[in-house]
Amino acid sequence: MKKTLDIFQFYRTKQYVFIYGTIESLGKTVNMVLETFTYIFKLDINFKNTIGQMVEVGWKSTPIVILTSFCTGMVLALQVGTATSNLFNEPVYVGMVIGFSMVIELGPVLTAIVVTGRVGAAITAELGTMKVTEQLDALYTLGTNPVKYLAVSRFLACFFMLPILTVISNIVGIYGGLVLSTNTWEVSSCSYLSQSLDFMTVRTFIHGFIKSFFFALIIVVVACYKGFNTKNGAEGVGKSVTGSVMTSMVLILTADYFLTYLLVALKVK
Amino acid sequence: MIKVENIYKSFTKKRVLDGISLELCPGQTLVIIGSSGVGKSILLKTIIGLIKPDSGTITIDGTDITKCTSTDLQQTQKKMGYVFQEAALFDSLDIFENVAFGLRTLANFDETQIKNRVEKCLAMVGLTNVEHLKPANLSGGMKKRVAIARAISYKPSYILYDEPTTGLDPIMSDAISSLIMSLKKHLNVSSIVVTHDMNSAYKIADKIIMIYDGKIIFSGTSEEIKRTDNEYVKQFVRGLSSGPIQQTDRTFEMG
Repeated sequence: MKKTLDIFQFYRTKQYVFIYGTIESLGKTVNMVLETFTYIFKLDINFKNTIGQMVEVGWKSTPIVILTSFCTGMVLALQVGTATSNLFNEPVYVGMVIGFSMVIELGPVLTAIVVTGRVGAAITAELGTMKVTEQLDALYTLGTNPVKYLAVSRFLACFFMLPILTVISNIVGIYGGLVLSTNTWEVSSCSYLSQSLDFMTVRTFIHGFIKSFFFALIIVVVACYKGFNTKNGAEGVGKSVTGSVMTSMVLILTADYFLTYLLVALKVK
Repeated sequence: MIKVENIYKSFTKKRVLDGISLELCPGQTLVIIGSSGVGKSILLKTIIGLIKPDSGTITIDGTDITKCTSTDLQQTQKKMGYVFQEAALFDSLDIFENVAFGLRTLANFDETQIKNRVEKCLAMVGLTNVEHLKPANLSGGMKKRVAIARAISYKPSYILYDEPTTGLDPIMSDAISSLIMSLKKHLNVSSIVVTHDMNSAYKIADKIIMIYDGKIIFSGTSEEIKRTDNEYVKQFVRGLSSGPIQQTDRTFEMG
């Protein structure tokens, strides 16, 4: 009898609500992802929408990715040059450190963070507003599944555009380092570039490239889920956007550690 | 014909629909009235399949949408148009694309037919030269008209209106009511209209039902509702704050 009472009391606890809510969210997310993949594998894709989203995610994010990567490359060059000058009385390994850092780590992560802030937030805000203004219900009444119409195009756009943006980020970051190294540390461009590229293999590029696909998945799944499950009007949209950006960033940084660990173990480095 | 039998629906601990049954005959306009929060919009969304009831059946032209497959549900939805309370036009699309949306997804029209049909539907609701505008550029009344044009574009047999006159001035409200009557006359559609606006209800209704506490407490014509002795109905149609309907009865929380 006492055990039965304990169970009833557990149902009313915050822990139960949290566990139930987490399981429910995971279930809804998995359902949405499976639905999205089903439409993609059936090639039931709105190509006009997908191209539009690719422009939104890829082309329109390019300037900010270029700016942030260029600055990051320069900062790295300054830091590495200063540190090695203090140790060896001259700036050494600047190209190598920047090349490796950008390609395997900073390029994918930095691009993912920038795209989370620009694209993930926009996706959640747009879908969330559509939810609270009954536009998603209107889609249903007009014979259209919102996942098919809205999520599939955004999913494909992020999945293909983030790796391309990552490549741009790598190139621009290394170039930023080159500009600073040649001007401040008087390292020759040939020496900088040979340092950057000599120690890299195809696997090094694949390492960063694989990460960017996973980061794209995290950004778009979180953004769409938060958007589709927005409640309580304008306030709810604000909360969803904040939740989407924060969740994506935490998941990207956490996933980065595990992916790095896995890829290194698999000798993709 | 739409037949709703013993529909029950609860959100968290509050029962919103408590054994609702109604029938919509061909060519009829059924008006549903009731205080805010009694579940009128929930009933309408349940009828079109947006919300699944806890129990009961909803039969539309012989298909029980509570038990049918998603394909059958989509086929049934082709017969129904829905006008949302806040119009729910797609912000990212212009007016032409909004009205053409249902034609592209629910009907097999080519581009020329779509263009002609969109122009015709917009003309029917009294709008011209708005095709290139975005919904944000329209007034509340114009948005409602576009929403009606979108709902009638693919020639549904039934149109469900969720508070079509709410938030409009009295003249625009009367214009929308006249438009609903005109569509019934010219397109021979059957309609269910959820409203608080008694002037509109008297004007367009073939039959009025009132929902209170999840149940239908009145069903009759416009003349019958004016003569009823039911205290709840009398309080509502006269718009009195004192009476058996209390403010505290009217709140519920959706899960």
